[in-house]
Amino acid sequence: MNGTYFERPLPHGGRLVERVVRDPELGKKIAKSCKAVYDIKPTLHFETGVPVRNVYREIMSVCYGFFSPVEGSMTKAELERVLKERRLLNEWVFPYPILFDISKEDYEKLGVEVGDRLLLRLKGEPFAVLDIEEIYEINPEEVATRTFGTPENNPEVVKEPFDKKHPGWVIYRSMNPIILAGKYTIINEPKLRPPFDRFWYPPRKAREEFEKRGWRTVIAHQTRNVPHVGHEMLMKAAAFTGDVEPCHGILVNAIIGVKRRGDYPDEAIVEGHEMVHLAGYIKPERHLVSICLWDMRYGNPLESILHGIIRQNMGCTHHMFGRDHAAVGEYYDMYATQILWTKGIPSFGFPKPINEVPYGLKIKAQNMKEFWYCPHCGEIAYSDSCNHAKEKQKFSGSFVRGMVAEGVFPPKVIFRPEVYKVIVKWWKKFGYPFCNEEYVKKKEQELEVDLPHMEI
Amino acid sequence: MAHYMVVLLDETRLNELKGTPVEEKIVDMFGGALKAINIDVPEDVEKKIMEAFTSARIDSRGAVTDVPVAFNRVLFEEIAKNKSIGKEVWDGVLARLDKIKEDAAKESSYLPAPEIDISDIEELQKEPYQKP
Repeated sequence: MNGTYFERPLPHGGRLVERVVRDPELGKKIAKSCKAVYDIKPTLHFETGVPVRNVYREIMSVCYGFFSPVEGSMTKAELERVLKERRLLNEWVFPYPILFDISKEDYEKLGVEVGDRLLLRLKGEPFAVLDIEEIYEINPEEVATRTFGTPENNPEVVKEPFDKKHPGWVIYRSMNPIILAGKYTIINEPKLRPPFDRFWYPPRKAREEFEKRGWRTVIAHQTRNVPHVGHEMLMKAAAFTGDVEPCHGILVNAIIGVKRRGDYPDEAIVEGHEMVHLAGYIKPERHLVSICLWDMRYGNPLESILHGIIRQNMGCTHHMFGRDHAAVGEYYDMYATQILWTKGIPSFGFPKPINEVPYGLKIKAQNMKEFWYCPHCGEIAYSDSCNHAKEKQKFSGSFVRGMVAEGVFPPKVIFRPEVYKVIVKWWKKFGYPFCNEEYVKKKEQELEVDLPHMEI
Repeated sequence: MAHYMVVLLDETRLNELKGTPVEEKIVDMFGGALKAINIDVPEDVEKKIMEAFTSARIDSRGAVTDVPVAFNRVLFEEIAKNKSIGKEVWDGVLARLDKIKEDAAKESSYLPAPEIDISDIEELQKEPYQKP
C-alpha cells in the first residue's frame, strides 16, 4: 500500500482459503468416503467441567477464510513454529495454535490412522471432514503457557504468569492430549441462526460487499460489547483515518464464542451495534456489522495479530486498537498491542512492527487512546485533546454494567436510548441482562448454527 | 490508592436523602444526567467484599464494581438509615452480608427487566439495512 490511495490489501498469505463444499451430492459422497465418524463436543474446563470452547467455531473460521492462510489443524512442526516464532511453516505470521484435539479414549475408539478421512458431526448431522496428516500428543499445560508467554521469556509485555484465572490459558489447558492434524473441509454448509444470519460476512462476501458499497478504505472495530457512546465516538473518530479522505466504511466485527458471566449476550451485542445505524447515529451506508466465530483467547497483542489477520482477510485497510485490547486481568502491559504495532515485540518474534516484518500484516493500525465524558467541554472528549483531565468521567464498563443491572435508564451521554432498549429486549427474552450460567449452557448446546439434514 | 463505591441515586433514593447531611455529598455525574454518592471503602472492608463476591473488581477509576445488585441495595439502605457515609454504614452492610449472599445467589439466574416501552426499536428492526 504505497502512494496516495490505499488499495484493498490482499488476503494474508496471498489468497483466501475457502474450504466449503456447497453441492450436497458431493458433500454426501465425501462423507461416505470417511473411515470413521466423530461427534464434535465442547471443550470442558479442566477443573469445573463448564464449556470453554467448541472447535466447530475454529473449523468455520478456517474453512470460510477468516484465518487464511491456515487450512486446518496444525501439524507438530507447525505448532512448534507458531509457539516459538508466531509463524506458520510457510512463513506467514500467525499467533495461535489451531488444533483438533481428542481424548485418548476417543482416539482408540475411532481407530483412525494417518491418511484416513474423519467425518465430523455437529448436532447429530455431518458437518466437516478432517484429512488426517499426522497424529501426535501434546502436554496441554505446556501448550497453554507457551501460547501466551511468560514474564521471563517475554519481559517486554508479559507482567504476570498465566494461570487458571485467564480464560484463554484455560482453553488450551483444557484441551485433550491427542491432536489430529490435517485440513478441514466443510461438506454440509451450516445455516446461521437468527439474529446472526444477517451479520454473516465471510471474507469473500465481505470483499464483495465493500466493492458494492464503494468502500476503498475500511476501518475495523473489534467488539465483544454492546456499544456505549464512548465506543461510538471511538469508531467515528478512528474512521477519520484514511488516505486523502476519511475511511469510506466502518466494519464492526463481533467475535462470537463462549461467553463469560457478566458479558452481554451475543444477540444484544450484534443488534446493539446494528441499532447504531438503524437509529441513524452512523449512516447505514457507512457502517456494517459482522461476526466471526472464535472462542476468544484474550491474548492482547497476540489476539490483535489474529484480529488484524481476520479483518485484512475481510478486506479492511485499517484496524482501530484501544488500550487493553482483548485483555483480561493484568497479565500483559495495557499497551502491549500498541507496542507490537509501533515497535514490535522481539521476544515474540517481531523485532519490528508487525507491518514491517517479512510475511507480516498489511492492514494498518490506528492506535487510539481514551474517550471520556468531560463536564467542562460538555461532550465526549478524546484524552489527547481534552485538557480537563482532572474533571474527566470515564466510561467504565463495569460501572455501566452495574447501572444496567440496577435497572437505571442510562443517560443519553452513556447509552443511546435505542441501543439500551436492545439490551432490554434481550433481557426480557433471557430473564437477565448479561450472560449467566443458564445462558452459557444453552448457547453451547444450540450454538450459532443449524445443520441441514444430510442422509448418508 | 483509596478505593470507593458509587451509589447511584434515582428519584426515590434522592427523596429519602432530602434534608439529611448526606444530601451535601451528592455529586453530579455526566453533566448532571446522573446523581450519585461516592463512598470510601476502607481496606479491611474491601478485602471482605472481594472474598465474599468473586465477581467484584476494582475498575480503571479505582472504584469497586461488579458487586451484586443486592449489595448495592443494602449499601443504600444503610446510608439512608444512618444518614451518613461513615464507618457505621459499613458495619451495617457487613452485618447483613449473609443475607446479601443469599439474595445475590437468586439474582444470578433472574433479574426483572425494566418495564419500558421498546416498540420504537422493534419498529426499526422490522426493516433492517442488512438482510440475511
